[in-house]
Amino acid sequence: MSAVHRPSEILETLERVGMSAAVAVPDGWLGEFLVRIERAPWISLIRATHEEEALAIACGARLGGARTALIIQNVGLLTMGAGMVCLAQRYRFPLLILASYRGTPADPVFYHVPKGRVTEPVLRGFGLGYAVADGARPIGAQVEQAATYAEEASSPFVLLLGQEDVQW
Amino acid sequence: MVSGETPTRAAYYRVMAGALPPETLVVTALGNASYLWAAIRDRAENFYVEDAMGLALPLALGLAVARPDRRVVAVEGDGGLLMHMGGLVTVGAASPPNLTVLLIQNGVHAASGGQALTNAGLDFAALAAAAGLAGARNVAGADDFAAALGEALAAPGPSFLALATAPDLEVVVPPAGFDPVVTRRRFQDAIDAPRYLPTLFGGGRLVER
Repeated sequence: MSAVHRPSEILETLERVGMSAAVAVPDGWLGEFLVRIERAPWISLIRATHEEEALAIACGARLGGARTALIIQNVGLLTMGAGMVCLAQRYRFPLLILASYRGTPADPVFYHVPKGRVTEPVLRGFGLGYAVADGARPIGAQVEQAATYAEEASSPFVLLLGQEDVQW
Repeated sequence: MVSGETPTRAAYYRVMAGALPPETLVVTALGNASYLWAAIRDRAENFYVEDAMGLALPLALGLAVARPDRRVVAVEGDGGLLMHMGGLVTVGAASPPNLTVLLIQNGVHAASGGQALTNAGLDFAALAAAAGLAGARNVAGADDFAAALGEALAAPGPSFLALATAPDLEVVVPPAGFDPVVTRRRFQDAIDAPRYLPTLFGGGRLVER
């Protein structure tokens, strides 16, 4: 167990890099994390009903000039496929996507496993940049790098997060 | 509801073109929703959502939240709204006062050749009101629309007008081909959106223009 509280480190990083908007769809790991974002005065949180809708809201916020993070479970990367290809990638919106990575060997929940198995192949199929958070390294630097990559590439970038990263 | 006396999309758009202040940001959905608006009033403050069916409204919501200083008008179709009905609920929850939603209710999937909707007879204004958009209403004529649009633009929103519209199945040729990245950059330039300064130049952050 890291001595540093990694979800707090993510929040501090989001503030430091100037994220002023977040759009989210819940996951069991994300509950308190989203509450903390909702209470933060430096960022606006929109809770969406579906991940593809959330992606479009995030594109709109970024269009308006707000640096924006999309916070979802990895299943949302599967459900948002059309919007990812036809909107976010086609118009080249730089978005940081923070996704709880469910169904990996570290999270062997029977109904999450099918999603975990296909998440990275689907991201590669989209041609989408992504990284899996390294639990041995500080998470703040990894979030900042992901956010920077999205902007420099003018494209969405996905950082897949473990339970310690996001569960408060 | 759509009847033989139903106005065309062009009739509504002509009212819009005359009524919208120049600083209004307009987000239009796929197909003729964008092509005709571009033909009638192409401006940098227009954002044309090509394809990405059903995502014009949620994109407009994000824009409205990010730019509370500007009026945002979203033009969505009934087929698109049915595809992402949840977006209406999110608009009601977020409740941006600067967002006006105009629904082209023509009863068909016009952009795909006029195929039938899953349920063409829905009362979308009632749905919008139930989602939290107080004052949502149905509009059945261009004159009625002119008055309703004026009221919607003058009052805090979000507002919602469902426009009974005759289907227009012939594809309108826009004045120029749409390049999505050009559309985005032109729009962001027009609204003075902060731009990203690359790390190579000492940035790595958004900066004001």
